[in-house]
Amino acid sequence: MNLTTEKAAGVARAGEVDTIVNYKPAYITMGVMLVFYVGIRIYEQYFGWKAGLDSFAPEFQTYWMNLMWTELPLEFVAFCGIGGYLWKTRDRNIDAVAPREEMRRILTLIGWLAVYAFSVYWGASYFTEQDGTWHQTVIRDTDFTPSHILEFYLSYPIYIICGWGAFMYAHTRIPQFAKRISLAFLMFFAGPFMIFPNIGLNEWGHTFWFMEELFTAPLHWGFVFFGWFALAVFGVARQVLDRVIELSKEYEKDALAL
Amino acid sequence: MSASTETGSPAGKTWKSKEEFLGCVILTDWILLVILFAVLLGSFHIHYMLLAGDWDFWIDFKDRRMWPTVAPIVAMCFAAASQSFFWTRFRLPIGATTVVLALLVGEWINRYDNFWGWTFFPINLVFPSALIPMGFWLDIVLMISGSWLITAVVGGLGWGLLFYPINWPVLAQYHQAAEIDGVLLTLADLIGFNYVRTGTPEYIRMVERGTLRTFGKDVVPVAAFFSGFISMLVYFLWWNMGKWFSTTKYLEIEEV
Repeated sequence: MNLTTEKAAGVARAGEVDTIVNYKPAYITMGVMLVFYVGIRIYEQYFGWKAGLDSFAPEFQTYWMNLMWTELPLEFVAFCGIGGYLWKTRDRNIDAVAPREEMRRILTLIGWLAVYAFSVYWGASYFTEQDGTWHQTVIRDTDFTPSHILEFYLSYPIYIICGWGAFMYAHTRIPQFAKRISLAFLMFFAGPFMIFPNIGLNEWGHTFWFMEELFTAPLHWGFVFFGWFALAVFGVARQVLDRVIELSKEYEKDALAL
Repeated sequence: MSASTETGSPAGKTWKSKEEFLGCVILTDWILLVILFAVLLGSFHIHYMLLAGDWDFWIDFKDRRMWPTVAPIVAMCFAAASQSFFWTRFRLPIGATTVVLALLVGEWINRYDNFWGWTFFPINLVFPSALIPMGFWLDIVLMISGSWLITAVVGGLGWGLLFYPINWPVLAQYHQAAEIDGVLLTLADLIGFNYVRTGTPEYIRMVERGTLRTFGKDVVPVAAFFSGFISMLVYFLWWNMGKWFSTTKYLEIEEV
């Protein structure tokens, strides 16, 4: 849904509208992500059993290791590209942002946060619990199992990239997040991000205990600890809403009457 | 890029009209709720599956001692944190129910699509524990009392005590006795033995042990009462965790 207002005649070009909120890019991104993950899931269904049981088999290299060596560089490029683009195109005159433009950017940030939240669902919920059932069924003989290649090295980097994009968008375009660092936003991005380096601990531990006898084993608790930091979404929501209220003082009574 | 330059809006005004403002607020409120739901789902799910997951995954792990002890205590963390946010900031008594609903959405999708759909375990081996009535209970206690202290004590104890009874209607049928090749076991055990995993409880010796049965053979009430006691303490801690994660503090760039 877009909420638009026609610009005053003579000011705007013909047909141009002054859009305050446009969530369409966020909807499209989430739609693309959904289609991508459904496609990946179908690939996994077929090639998990067909080529993912023995890491020494040639077909494992073909269908799984090649996938990993493709996704990792692409993710690194995407991470650097998104961060670099947002930094390069940052608002260098952040003190001069007009209220309407600031509101527009806050609403765009909410679109970024929606994409981040959607990607967190896929990474932390869908692919992580899936890993539990795979490893209690198929004994691992490598760190790079089919479920790991899609969980640790695909879905986790994707949510990190989305969180990084949201953080950098706020930091480069929205005055309240540009001049200082929001502690909540930092935790909301950095906590889940740290789950990725924690894979190092996990895989190191699995070189001793390679079976998934207990999914609740203490070796896995690093993921839990860093997952808690996603609760900082509470602080981010408060900061965003506080600013929306400040910018909308004139309609406060109308909002309360809803 | 001079992104701060703006054309066509009145100087100093954020909104062009009341209609634009109200339409935007309603839409964005919904999107924020979806964001909160999805983030709580992911965060709670990874917490729950890695602290109580085995008891929640498998029917033969759902015993009378460890399952009713571990699962409610672990679930209480996010229920308390979520209540802290929704109640303190918005006076909405929906925190616990929302967060357990989010968890169950993630779990049911996973059990069907992955446990059954990918690794072919039957659903009656892998269905998740029920938690929604406990969420109702905790939210109702907070709504009526308006006090997180009372919710911790009364709600926390009830949270632990409710867990086994609300799961019993589904679980009871799997605790029917069966005799297979001269061995007495439950249907839950029998299903588990037919689907051997690295986490088969007998294999990793996570089976219920006998010592608690000296308490008049009633293991469940003792386990539930203990779970309720720890849930109270966890509530205190995680209510404050929820407050802490709701921080609006900013750091100076030089500090980072």
